Amino acid sequence: MTDRSEIISQMTGLLYPFILLFGFYIILNGHASPGGGFQGGAVLASVFITRYLVEPDRCIQLKTLKTAEKILFVCIILYPAFFLFATTANHSELMNLTYLIVMNFLIGLKVCSGFTIIFFRFAFYEGGI
Amino acid sequence: MTENIFLITLVVLALIALNTKKLRRAVVYLGIFSLVSSFVYLLYGAPDVAIAEAIIGSTITTVLYLVALRKYQVFSIFYSKSENDHNISYIKNNAPFLNNLEAFLIKCEMEPQIIYSGESIETILDQKKFDLAIHHTDQDIWIYGCAEDYQIDAVENYLHDNHGDLNIHLIRCEEGDDNEA
Repeated sequence: MTDRSEIISQMTGLLYPFILLFGFYIILNGHASPGGGFQGGAVLASVFITRYLVEPDRCIQLKTLKTAEKILFVCIILYPAFFLFATTANHSELMNLTYLIVMNFLIGLKVCSGFTIIFFRFAFYEGGI
Repeated sequence: MTENIFLITLVVLALIALNTKKLRRAVVYLGIFSLVSSFVYLLYGAPDVAIAEAIIGSTITTVLYLVALRKYQVFSIFYSKSENDHNISYIKNNAPFLNNLEAFLIKCEMEPQIIYSGESIETILDQKKFDLAIHHTDQDIWIYGCAEDYQIDAVENYLHDNHGDLNIHLIRCEEGDDNEA
């Protein structure tokens, strides 16, 4: 991993948009097909992890990711509360659908930032080297 | 029927991963194991679990293990004999103390990597990156190590206790430019 390979860097550069598209598809279509927030978030995190294989530099901003994860966590708690208490008792089909999609999206982004933080902390700050 | 074939494959892959000597290969076998097990989940009608297993088991865990292995200390030993004998199996059978040293290093949580070299000891000392260089002549065994390596003391004590009958000389040399010990 210290000596970079031209083939791997070119191929991962080509694959990034497809991985991102697949991850967002899994997240946004999670209520209807297999998958959901967690799986899609893990796919999105694998983008960052393969990026580490290509160029292991420290320019990734872990602090921003941590802040984003905290904000997303608060959103995940607040949105169901808002949905339960602020809206009327009998929900329409469309409202339920929006609720599911938004929750999946929030969970996916949170899982993605969580996985990325865990991996980069381990790779850069733990143990030897 | 198909499930049974893949379940047997799982057991075989797990046994292979357990029995490999190199950790890097075991990690690769574990990645294949996760991929096959995710396919088995799919056959049993759990596509959600299959997606999660395929991503986490065979991508993220494999990369994490590989990064962890790179942080793990590899202890490289160069071994050369005085006479020009390139028959490696002969050397292996005639150096029981080398096997004991390897077992000792594994006990110290290092990963020993022994390189049997046909070059003379001077070239090894000049060029190669080594933690220990062993020069085996007819009567004596010369061991070269870096003076600042803290493992050398443990190795010296171990050799003195267990192989006091062999004529072992341990030489601590200064750290060279190429020497990453």
